[in-house]
Amino acid sequence: MDYEFPENLKYTKTHEWVRIKDKTATVGITDFAQHQLGDIVYIELPEKGANLEKQSSAGEIESVKAVGELSMPLSGKIIEVNSTLVDNPENVNSSPYGSGWILKLEYTNELEIDDLLSVEDYKRIAEEEN
Amino acid sequence: MDFISHDEKTIAEMLKIINVSEVDDLFQDIPKELIIESLNLSDGMSEPDVLDKMREYGSKNNIYSHSFLGAGCYYHYIPSLVDFVISRSEFYTSYTPYQAEASQGYLQAIYEYQSVISRLTEMEIANASMYDGSTSLAEAAIMASIITGKNQVILLEGVHPEYIDVVKTYCWGQNIELKITSEDKLNDVLNEDIAAVMFQSPNFFGDITDVLVMSNKVKDKYPNCLLIQCMTDPTCLGLLKPPGKTNVDIFVAEGQSFGIDPSFGGPGLGIFTAKKKYLRKIPGRLVGKTKEINGNREGFLLTLQAREQHIRREKASSNICTNQALCSLSALIYLVSLGKTGLREIATQNFQKAHYVKKALASIPGYKILNKKPTYNEFIVMCPNINGLIRECKNMNLLPPLQVSTYYPEMSDVVLVCVTELNSRKSIDKFIKAAKLAINNEEERVD
Amino acid sequence: MDANERLIFNKGNELVQQNFIPKLDIKSEKIEEILPKNLIRDELRIPDVSEVEIVRHYLKLSKINYGVDSGIYPLGSCTMKYNPKVNEIVARMTSFSKLHPLQDGNEGALEILYEISQMLCEITGMDGFTLQPAAGAHGELVGLLIIKKYFETKGIVKNKIIIPDSAHGTNPASAKMAGFSIIELQSNEHGEVPLDHLEYAMKQGDVAGIMLTNPNTLGVFDRQIKDITRIVHEHGGLCYYDGANLNPMLGICRPKDMGFDIVHLNLHKTFSTPHGGGGPGSGPVGVTNELIPFLPIPCIVSTKKGLICNYDNHESIGRIKAFWGNFSIILRAFVYILSLGADGLKRVGQIAVLNANYLKTLLKKKYNLPYDRICQHEFVLSDKYLPNDITTEDVAKRILDYGFYAPTIYFPLVVNGALMVEPTETESKDSLDKFVEVMNQICDEALNAPEKLKNAPSNTPIGRLDAVNAARKPILHD
Repeated sequence: MDYEFPENLKYTKTHEWVRIKDKTATVGITDFAQHQLGDIVYIELPEKGANLEKQSSAGEIESVKAVGELSMPLSGKIIEVNSTLVDNPENVNSSPYGSGWILKLEYTNELEIDDLLSVEDYKRIAEEEN
Repeated sequence: MDFISHDEKTIAEMLKIINVSEVDDLFQDIPKELIIESLNLSDGMSEPDVLDKMREYGSKNNIYSHSFLGAGCYYHYIPSLVDFVISRSEFYTSYTPYQAEASQGYLQAIYEYQSVISRLTEMEIANASMYDGSTSLAEAAIMASIITGKNQVILLEGVHPEYIDVVKTYCWGQNIELKITSEDKLNDVLNEDIAAVMFQSPNFFGDITDVLVMSNKVKDKYPNCLLIQCMTDPTCLGLLKPPGKTNVDIFVAEGQSFGIDPSFGGPGLGIFTAKKKYLRKIPGRLVGKTKEINGNREGFLLTLQAREQHIRREKASSNICTNQALCSLSALIYLVSLGKTGLREIATQNFQKAHYVKKALASIPGYKILNKKPTYNEFIVMCPNINGLIRECKNMNLLPPLQVSTYYPEMSDVVLVCVTELNSRKSIDKFIKAAKLAINNEEERVD
Repeated sequence: MDANERLIFNKGNELVQQNFIPKLDIKSEKIEEILPKNLIRDELRIPDVSEVEIVRHYLKLSKINYGVDSGIYPLGSCTMKYNPKVNEIVARMTSFSKLHPLQDGNEGALEILYEISQMLCEITGMDGFTLQPAAGAHGELVGLLIIKKYFETKGIVKNKIIIPDSAHGTNPASAKMAGFSIIELQSNEHGEVPLDHLEYAMKQGDVAGIMLTNPNTLGVFDRQIKDITRIVHEHGGLCYYDGANLNPMLGICRPKDMGFDIVHLNLHKTFSTPHGGGGPGSGPVGVTNELIPFLPIPCIVSTKKGLICNYDNHESIGRIKAFWGNFSIILRAFVYILSLGADGLKRVGQIAVLNANYLKTLLKKKYNLPYDRICQHEFVLSDKYLPNDITTEDVAKRILDYGFYAPTIYFPLVVNGALMVEPTETESKDSLDKFVEVMNQICDEALNAPEKLKNAPSNTPIGRLDAVNAARKPILHD
């Protein structure tokens, strides 16, 4: 498997990555997920300011032949969305951990961070699904 | 006649290759007790015999020389080239154009259909069509509910009564609350929780609403509430201000008037259009223009398919899978055959002729026009002897106007008259004569 | 040529004579005096094009479009059979085409609707039919609304529907439109419904029923069908038969005998009405006696006084379409059933299955066949073992180069890289052999000249199109 999985990130079973800094988390989809979806054509972003529960839907990622759901890795408030993706959804394909980030949230329950997956655990899941 | 080309010898050769001894062996997975002996239907028939039999059924239908009946299904002239084009079997025997490179002809035609509908309605996007006007309106209600996240919609009286019933059924299916009210009382029911206001103009009774005034009224107070307009005879758009100019969010119409025969009410054509910002929520197929991957030529393909049921399954906003492609092709040929000049002319004639009949009827003692607003090609009249009028029309080989009591029992003396460009002066004179004769026989009036 | 130049909008001409509107023979008034100015439109951007230009334009387009009359159309689950021409002649008889849905003097039409309902009852075993639904998916919605109403009327809350993973995408979408949530059931290694999983799901108590197509989308007849319907019934559920795959069952066996309560048919598949490029279709729904009261209105009922239309049925789900359904499509199907009769219909079922098995036997020599069993109307190949990273899409596009249409691809979802083939009964052996020849040649090319597949199609009016950019920046009209 030739996918990139940065060591310093946390992951979810549903293929989101999470970068935690202070009280905020930046969220996107993994290299493996973008590859499975194929060329991404449209992203439905959540509304800024929305309070969403962990695992609830925070948006949709559409390719030509598939739709993926972005689910909240942690409960919290959406404080920023990557609006450049409206015109350039391909950034999720070309740079899933960089310019392809999707949203930033202010998490409300620190304990939930422990439920996120380590890179090793996530790699195993991705390998199984491959 | 079974349209199968194998003889017994061929069948035997094929069975040998499959490596079974008889055709019945191919059904070995089916439990024995489920296999039936034969169907209890008559024997097959030759083509001439079938045609004879069908003519017999046909002879039990009355086709009149001229019609004053509309009410959601209209007689307009269909240019001969419409049937010529839709009879090309490359078109009518094809399937949904999944393989774009082998379906460029149809894809371009659908793209042209979307374009001509956008131009006619001045709405930003038109889909490749839906089943008919009634289901389009119902799907529009669902779409509005999805867009706004609210589950109440308002429908104004004057929408075609069969459309109202269809909307009711769909809304019940999706647990959307439907409130029916009159335009006058709209303000009393409007509130923050309403997803959309649906109305018809020209409405079932013929009234033309000043849509801009109404949309301002709704949007001033509730900018997020969607305005959905429907229409049953869009030939009026040759003359009337299009929905794209009156701030309508979703516009739907029955497109049967555009080159499609009445055929006892089906198939029709669901014209479905919306503002561009709702593009990702629109139901149904869409054809787009793009370029080759390894070349510069432009071509057409089905696009934004990730909205649809075959990809999104239960998350799709609609289950619709067909478009009425062949009917949309009829509409396209009809609209380009008439062109802007013809469309203006036809709308003007419908308007003028209906106006003429309206005035003539109003001048006969006992008849009263009930419309308070301007009308297009339909209007409602109170009659002194409705049964007499219906009978006299039939005597003169005229298809009589609709008795409104069909849908509204309380309006027992009212007919909905439809006059189109196909009503010649001669047929109009006959109709007026029938109206006069009906009064003379008023004593036999039965309620 | 640039697509823009090819569009009809660029063939306009200012000098076109209007030939399609009668001369205005009444005294007209000034429009502005009888219609407020603010209601009148300004410009209308539709060109005036001459008749001859229009005919040439669309004739040209027809020539770059493939239909059943062009050759084999092996789309799985679509039943692309020949569309008899006599159907078209009848649909155009003025005694039918000019009939208004709200007029009286319609006895001929009502008789046809009534009689075809009876025929469909005989063919499926059901007790009553509605002809209102305009398409297969519309029929599914009606069937599910009937299930919803049935339980509502009984005061029982059941809000889930079981659907196997091999189902058509319309099934879950229709269930959702009727307000149900979906339990997806994984097919077992034979492509059949696993009885233990079914029983477990039914035991939860909130399941209204199951939607099934049999034979399923793998072309396989579920041998345990009687057990499936029995289990669902035992737990108070209803069984819905998706009739998309009914063609091979014609005259062989019937959905009601399998234990189904509701069935929708696709007249444009099984009963030879043209697909029309994606519509109009017709999707009648049949039910058992117990469910007849819930059918949509209007219904045609036979009484001593003759046929009457029943609009008033308080248990009905209501109206689901204006007027009478797609009458002219129903009419074509009626002509088809009359033409074939009992024996003809049975032969359809037999030969549809013969053709599919013949094709399958020959194609599995070179292509992977994941479910290798006697099939019914269709079978599913996969791209497994294709060399040089050749995908299903590459194969499909290469088929177009040889002048044929491609099978259904990437469906059903239970087979990766699926190629789903349904030849139908109307293809001759010669036509099937030619298709096999092409498929074999493509297989050889995959090995020896893969670029021919990767660059396909190269022999069509246009090359492979950029679907990604089309979806990112949609251009939907001119």
